[in-house]
Amino acid sequence: MDYVIQELKTLFSGQNFEKKRGDLLFATLDTGVLVQALKHLRDMLGFRHLVLITAVDWIEEDLFQITYLLRNYTQKTDVGIRVFVPRSNPIMESIHTLWETAATYQRELHEMFGIDFPGSPRVNKPFILEGWQEIPPYRRDFDTKKYAEETYFPRPGRKTHDPETYMKQKLYPDGTES
Amino acid sequence: MKISDILQPLTAWKNLVKDPITIKDPLNRVAAPRYRGFHKNDLETCIGCGTCEAICQNAAIDMVPVEGIETKDGDSGLRPRIDYGRCCWCGLCVDICTTGSLTMSNAYQWIDNDPEVFRFIPGAEEKPWDTADKGYKRPENYTLNPLKRVSMEELNPADRIQGFMEIVKGFSRDQALQEADRCVSCGICVATCPAHMGIPAYIEAIRNDDLNQGMRILYETNPFPEVCGRVCTHKCETVCSIFHRGDPVSIRWLKRYIADQIPEHEYAAILDSPQEETGKKVAIIGAGPAGLSAAYYLRLQGHTVVIFEAQPEAGGMMRYGIPEYRLPYDQLDKDIKYIKHIGVKIRTETRVGRDISLESLHKDFDIIYAATGLHEGRSTRAKGSDHPKVYQAVNLLRDFTKGLEIPYEAPVIVIGGGNVAMDIARTLARLHMQKMGRVDITLTCLETEDIMPADREEIVEAREEGIQIIPGYGPLEVVSNGDTLKGLKTVRCVSVFDENGRFNPKFDHSDTQFLPASIIVEAIGQGMDLSYIPESIKKEMKTDARGRIQVDAYYQTSLPWFFAGGDIIEGPDVIHAIANGHTAAKRIDHILRGEQ
Repeated sequence: MDYVIQELKTLFSGQNFEKKRGDLLFATLDTGVLVQALKHLRDMLGFRHLVLITAVDWIEEDLFQITYLLRNYTQKTDVGIRVFVPRSNPIMESIHTLWETAATYQRELHEMFGIDFPGSPRVNKPFILEGWQEIPPYRRDFDTKKYAEETYFPRPGRKTHDPETYMKQKLYPDGTES
Repeated sequence: MKISDILQPLTAWKNLVKDPITIKDPLNRVAAPRYRGFHKNDLETCIGCGTCEAICQNAAIDMVPVEGIETKDGDSGLRPRIDYGRCCWCGLCVDICTTGSLTMSNAYQWIDNDPEVFRFIPGAEEKPWDTADKGYKRPENYTLNPLKRVSMEELNPADRIQGFMEIVKGFSRDQALQEADRCVSCGICVATCPAHMGIPAYIEAIRNDDLNQGMRILYETNPFPEVCGRVCTHKCETVCSIFHRGDPVSIRWLKRYIADQIPEHEYAAILDSPQEETGKKVAIIGAGPAGLSAAYYLRLQGHTVVIFEAQPEAGGMMRYGIPEYRLPYDQLDKDIKYIKHIGVKIRTETRVGRDISLESLHKDFDIIYAATGLHEGRSTRAKGSDHPKVYQAVNLLRDFTKGLEIPYEAPVIVIGGGNVAMDIARTLARLHMQKMGRVDITLTCLETEDIMPADREEIVEAREEGIQIIPGYGPLEVVSNGDTLKGLKTVRCVSVFDENGRFNPKFDHSDTQFLPASIIVEAIGQGMDLSYIPESIKKEMKTDARGRIQVDAYYQTSLPWFFAGGDIIEGPDVIHAIANGHTAAKRIDHILRGEQ
């Protein structure tokens, strides 16, 4: 994998190289060089397969991380390329011209995180959330539990107990030890 | 139309003779080894902390009682019931589980027409996958919340032995926030705390950086946050759910953090003021933790409260027992000053029974609460122990607090394995250092090290300060030549308690030691002095066979106007005293208001 590090470093100013395993490498790139770098990895270094695109919400840093995972089937190695886009203006260049399948991932990320990929086919169409009105649900400021409580009512017959209150009832109901 | 459009579909026929790629029997397809299937719960390991319920984003888990599982210290008796109509199989409940009892099998196929069956208590309702070893388990060393506690900065032994500076430095804001973040707010600890303090609530206040709110929660159950934030026996930490896999949350230090951050002059604006005067009067005997705690809560209800204290200053054992390096006097004063601020009157140097009689208090006050503590050192009664150079630890500690000279001639032998023995040994070690530049103290006790009653950290720190500890030996004879003490002969103790758990030490007389000593300090326990209660009153009061006062659950004796609490009833420790002072105060308040 050292040649991959070398090329990403010299050609695309790659940083934060992390060898997770002998066959798995992660690197961080600037958004501006991403498409070029992925093309280079695909055409020159044999990483022909786009395994997936995913994102992480670093809400404290006001950033979204987008990760592109590529596979080289000859070498049996994987490379993960990370880029960061501002959370306040989450736009990333589309790579559907490199891999058609990327459009699907980008459509999903648009729906789940609200990251836009202008020009990506059907990127604004609902993916699995039809009629979604809330903020994108994979954003960390989306309160899943509150949404679940408001949207889905509990089945009848459900009853829960708070451990602290229950222990008081059982062990010291009037505030004293028995 | 082209000819290929007609012929192309026929190519599908080439698959006719191939094996199908679909699964013939999808119902018996085995899932991957780490597949997240139906849950399993080891009911014996589970403590019912409810953290699985708290983390579940789909509200799929209810905590419910299970027959045969008892609610007790450290176990709520509840167990999770999972509604598979809502479970999304994310496995967060498994990842956060404080004990590791909750896991998942890799079973996922189950068909039934009755939707109710898909809601059950794993482990309590038998399922075919209960014994399956495959399925999702939290990976080794993986944890959502840090298992290591934020370490507390302390003075190193070489520095702290030079004087009486406080050893523990306390948390910074960052450290406190980080430590508070480790708490899962399960509340299992609340039942174990003798005062049932609102522990998860005040830790949450720290997380929210709302220390005024934290302060109000502390004072709901305990008017000694500075004291308990330092010297509490922290039984709460022994049942902390995080303790099952890692270090318990530093509950004691977090309490101290809240109190330390708020200056004394802000207390009044944050905390509740006393209610309207009721005109009722309560006399309290003894200004220790129990008496002061009862006084605080009675005064809050608007009653007139006067404490009678034999010593020159209030505080009881918190002042005259616990050394300054563990509990600095200014911190103790901070707690006491606020109790005085709300109007509790303390008459110091007034010993009931000598300066004022119990009968006259009975005449002038509606109720009396006696919390006079254990201040009489017990003797080992070893041969020769009535020598003038054999001292009682409690007396020396009291004299030292008062600023009096106390004997320290080296070598010193301390007899006893509890915290009081550590307190006097470590106090004398500091004196040795100041007077002689070296420590010459040996501590010996009946108990072997594993069953020494002192806190573990006391034993470790005493050793670090140069005190030699010889556990497992009992005093046989104090050897002296006239007024000069020569030393102590000890004998190996084979067992301290008999098969019934009663104190009944057995010795191996073939194994004795002689420890040279100039003075000996006995620290094997304390007794009470109830001589202030006249015989006429004592006769009417229900006592047990050993003459101890009997009280009900509210610390009321058989005489309706006489309550008793603190170390003379249970303990001895500060937090029990505070708790039972509060309980008595609640009951006294009811009586004074004519309620039942």
